[in-house]
Amino acid sequence: MNSARDLILDDPGWLIAVKGLLVFVFCVLCTLMAIWFERRIVARMQLRLGPNRVGKFGLLQSLADGVKLALKEDLIPAAADKLVFIIAPIISATTCFMAFAVIPMSGPVKMFGQETAFQLTDIPVGVLYILSVASVGVYGIVLAGWSSGSTYPLLGGLRSSAQVISYEIAMGLSLVAVFLYAGSMSTIDIVDAQDQFWYAIVLFPSFIIYAISMVGETNRAPFDLAEAEGELVGGFHTEYSSLKFALFFLAEYVNIVGVSALATTLFLGGYHAPPGLGFTESWLGGWFTFIWFFIKVVLFFFVFVWLRGTLPRLRYDQFMQFGWKVLIPANVAWIMVVAVLRYFTLNGASRTSILIFGGAILVIFLMGSSLYERSKAKKGEVTASAVDAPAPYPVPELPMKISTFTVPRAERERE
Amino acid sequence: MPTPKIEYGILAPVLVVLAAAVLAVLVEAFVSRRYRYVVQTTLSFAAIALGLFTVILNKDVSGRFAEGSVAVDGVTIVLQGTILIFALLGLLLIAERGFQSFTAQASTLPGSADEQRALASGLQQTEVFPLTLFAVGGALLFPAANDLITLFVALEVLSLPLYLMAGLSQRRRLLSQEAGLKYFLLGAFSSAFFLFGSAFLYGYAGTTTFDGIKLQITTSPGNDLFLLVGLAMLTVGLLFKVSAAPFHSWTPDVYQGAPTPITAFMAAVTKVAAFGAFLRIFYTTIGGMVWTWRPIIIAISILTMAIGTIIAIAQKDVKRVLAYSAIAHSGFLLTGIVAFNKSGVGATLLYLLTYGFTTLGTFAIVTLVRDAGGEVTDLNRWSGLGKRSPLIAGIFTLFLLALAGIPLTSGFVGKFAIFSAAYESGNISVVIAGVLASAVAAFFYIRIVVLMYFNDPQEDGTSVVIPSPVTAITIGVCAVATLVLGVFPQPVINAVNSLAMFVAG
Amino acid sequence: MNPYVPILVIGAIGFGFAIISVVAGYLTGPRRYNRAKAEAYECGIEPTPPAAGGGRFPIKYFLTAMLFIIFDIEIVFLYPWAVSFDQLGLFGIVEMFLFILTVFVAYTYVWRRGGLEWD
Repeated sequence: MNSARDLILDDPGWLIAVKGLLVFVFCVLCTLMAIWFERRIVARMQLRLGPNRVGKFGLLQSLADGVKLALKEDLIPAAADKLVFIIAPIISATTCFMAFAVIPMSGPVKMFGQETAFQLTDIPVGVLYILSVASVGVYGIVLAGWSSGSTYPLLGGLRSSAQVISYEIAMGLSLVAVFLYAGSMSTIDIVDAQDQFWYAIVLFPSFIIYAISMVGETNRAPFDLAEAEGELVGGFHTEYSSLKFALFFLAEYVNIVGVSALATTLFLGGYHAPPGLGFTESWLGGWFTFIWFFIKVVLFFFVFVWLRGTLPRLRYDQFMQFGWKVLIPANVAWIMVVAVLRYFTLNGASRTSILIFGGAILVIFLMGSSLYERSKAKKGEVTASAVDAPAPYPVPELPMKISTFTVPRAERERE
Repeated sequence: MPTPKIEYGILAPVLVVLAAAVLAVLVEAFVSRRYRYVVQTTLSFAAIALGLFTVILNKDVSGRFAEGSVAVDGVTIVLQGTILIFALLGLLLIAERGFQSFTAQASTLPGSADEQRALASGLQQTEVFPLTLFAVGGALLFPAANDLITLFVALEVLSLPLYLMAGLSQRRRLLSQEAGLKYFLLGAFSSAFFLFGSAFLYGYAGTTTFDGIKLQITTSPGNDLFLLVGLAMLTVGLLFKVSAAPFHSWTPDVYQGAPTPITAFMAAVTKVAAFGAFLRIFYTTIGGMVWTWRPIIIAISILTMAIGTIIAIAQKDVKRVLAYSAIAHSGFLLTGIVAFNKSGVGATLLYLLTYGFTTLGTFAIVTLVRDAGGEVTDLNRWSGLGKRSPLIAGIFTLFLLALAGIPLTSGFVGKFAIFSAAYESGNISVVIAGVLASAVAAFFYIRIVVLMYFNDPQEDGTSVVIPSPVTAITIGVCAVATLVLGVFPQPVINAVNSLAMFVAG
Repeated sequence: MNPYVPILVIGAIGFGFAIISVVAGYLTGPRRYNRAKAEAYECGIEPTPPAAGGGRFPIKYFLTAMLFIIFDIEIVFLYPWAVSFDQLGLFGIVEMFLFILTVFVAYTYVWRRGGLEWD
C-alpha cells in the first residue's frame, strides 16, 4: 500500500478545505506570475524589456491588469444569449481548477502538524478524470463562441473546439503507453512507477506527442489559430469584456499550468528529484519535493513561452492534418510497439532480443518515413502546379504561369 | 484473474461476415472505382457463402461461448442459417444493376447540380455492400447474444447500416431520405429504451448476462420493481425492431421510402434476427415469469394483428400494403412467443423461414413493375397486370396467397404450426384473433389478385421488365421455396424441430 | 474519507471564485449605455445581420466531432486494456490489435475519402 495515498485519504475535513484553498491560490499565483514571466521572456527574445514598472521587476503587472479589467464596463451584446453568455466563462474557470485535484505536487510532508502530502485526492482513474474535466472545459469555449451572437466568436469557438478535441485524441493516445507501463491510472502510482526511469526517456515518442498535443490542446502559439488576430479578432472571447474576459484569460493560463503539471507527473517523475539527487527529497521536511515539482512545471512553461517567441502560427488545414494524419497514426503504431515490447519483457525475453526487435522497428519506421517524405515531395510538385486551376473566386494573378496541371489525388477521389 | 478466451471457430459465422465487411470498407477505400462493383459483389457473396458453410459446420454445437456472452445452440444455428440464406437472396437483389435502385452518390443533395453530375458519371457508389455485410453480421449475432451488452452491440450493428441503406434510393430521394431519418430517430429512441431497460436489469441482477438474470429471477421473487421496469423497457426496444404495435409506426414509411431491394432485405433479415432474440429472452431468460409477461404479449399480439390487417385494407400503395402485412405477420409471430412450449420454438422458426422467402419474393417482384420514372407502386396502376404479364402476376399471386396463409403454400404451413402451438398452450384468445385477422388479411391480398386479373390494364406506361438473371434467380428461389414448403414441408419441419433446442440452462 | 469529496471542494472553490468574479465585474465596472457597444464586434464596420435559422457553418466541424467520438471511444477502450495489460497476456495483445486494426480500417477509409482534408 502506498503511504502517500494513505496519508491523503486520512486527511481530516478541515485539512481538505485548507489544501483546496492552497491549490486554488497556487493556481492563481501561478497565473499571475506566468503572465508576467511570459511577457518578460518574450520581450527578451524580441530585444525589449517587457513590463517593469508595476512593483519590483514589474512583478505586479498582471495584478494591475486584473484590477483594470475589473473597472471596465461589462458588456453583453444585444444579440447574445444572455444566460449562456454568462455561464460560459464560469464553466471554463471552474473546470480548469478542478484538474488540479489529482496532481501530486509533493511527497509526504507535514502540513499544520498533520502528516499528509500536497495533493488534494487520489482516485484510481485520476488521469482519466483530468481528461474528462478538460473535455468539459471545451464547453466553455464553444458556448462562449455560440452565445455571443456574432460571427467572429462563433467561428473562433468552433475552430478552437475542433482543435482541442482533435488534439485531445493525440493526447489521450500518448497516455496509453504510460498506463501500460505503470499498470495504473492513479497519478500517485504513475509517479512511483518512475522511481528508476522517467517515462520521458523510456517512452520518448509518447512524451514528444504529448508535448506537442498539449500545446494544441491549450490553444497556444504556434497553434493559437482560434485567436488569429488577422482573421478572427480575438476568437471565441471577442465579445467578452471586464472580469468575464479575465476569467477566460485565467482559465487559459491555469490550463497551461495544468497540462504542464500533468506532463511532469506522467513523464518527468512528478515531485521526485532527478536521478542522483534523491537525497534532496527529505530537505525542508519533504517540502523540497514541491520545489522539484515546481521547477519542472516552470521548465515546461518556459518551453511554451519559447515556442510562442520563436514559431509563426500554423495554417489551420496544416494544423488539423498534422494532428489527424501524423500524430494519431504514429501514436497508435507506437502503442502497438510498446505493447509487444512490454509483453516480451514480461515473459523473460533477453535484453538483446528486445534490443534487436526495437532496432528493427526503428529501421522500419525510418524507412517508412523516408518513403513517405519522398512520396509527399512528389505529390508536392503536383499540387504546386495545381495552383493554376481556375478558382471559383477571383484570385490575384500569379507572377509565373505553370502550364502543366494535374488534379491532386485527394480531389480526384472525392469527385 | 484468468485470461479470457474466445472460441473463434464457433463464432466463425459472425466473424467471417464482419471481417468481410471490414475488408469491403478497405476495398471501397483502395480499389479503383471501375472494379469496385465486381470486387464488392464477389467478396460479399463469398463471405455469405463461407458464413453459411461455417454455420453448417457448427450444427451440433450447443453451449455458451466468448465468456458466456454468446449462446450457440440449435435455435441459433437455424436462425443464423435462415438469416444467411435471406441475406444471400437480398444481396442478389441489391447487386442488381439494371434498375438503378441506388443513388449514385448518397452525399449529394437531392436535385442539386452535384447529383446530376454524379448521375451523369454513370458510376454508383458501392458502399451498400459493406453496409449490408455489417447488417448481416449484426443480425447473426443478435439471436445468439446471451448478454445484454452483446445484444445491444448486435442491435446497433444491425440497425445503423439499415438506417443509412434506407436513405439510398435513387428515385424519390427526398422520400427515401425522410424514411432513413425517421427510421434513425425512432430507432435511436427505441435503443435508448433498450439501454435504459438494460441498466434497470443490471441494477436488479447485478450482472448483464442472461444466465445471471435468469438465476436471479429463479432464486428471488420475480416482482422486483427494477426487474419489471427493466423488462418492460427492453421489450419496447425489441418490439420496435419487430414492428409490433404500438411501436410499428415507422414501418410503412420506411418500407415505402427505402430502395425496394433494401426493403426486401430488411423485411426478411431483421424480422428473423429480432424474433430470434425475442425467443431467447422470453423462452430462457425470463421464462420463469411467463405468467407475468404472457397477458401483455397476448394483448400486443392481438393489437398488432388488428392494426396490421385493418389499416392495410385502406392502403393504395403496394409497398405500404406489404409493410402493414409485415406488421400483421409480427402479430402472428408473437403468438409463437405466447405459446411458450416446445412446439412454439419450432413453429416460430418455421414461420420465420416461410415468411422470409415469401416477403423477399414479393418485394423482388415489386422491383420489376416499372415505368419511365422507376418503380410503380401505386396499386391502381397494377390493374390488369395479369393480362400483360401472366407469369410475373402468377408468381406474385402465389406469394400473396402464401402471405394470406392459403393451403398448399408455405404461409399455411407456418400459420398452422404457430397457431397450433399457441392452441396447445391453451391461449385460445390469441388463436381466435389470429384466425380472424388472417381472414381479414386474405381480403386485401385477394383484392390485389382481383385487381391484377379482372381489371383492364391502363395505358400509362406501366410495364413489367424482363428480370436480369440475379433478380430472376431470387424470384425463382423464393417461388420454389414457397411452393415446396407448402406442398411438401415435412422434411423441413422435422429438421427445424430436431434442431430447435435452447442450450440447457 | 471518500476520495471524491476533495474534488467537490476544489470545484466549489473554483465555481465560487468564478461567480464572484462575474458579479464583481458587473458591480465594479461603469455602465454607460451606447447602442453601438451592444452590437456585434466586426472591426468597426456595420455588423452583418445574423443569418436566418441561426446560421450555418461548415459540415467539417460536424465530421471532426464524429471522428473525435470514434477515436475517443477507442481510447476509452485502450485505457483499461493498458492498465490490466500485464494480466491479460497474449490474449490482450491479439484482441486489442484486432480492435485497433478495425478502427484503422475506418480511419483509412475516411482518409481516402477526403474526410481529413480541410479546404
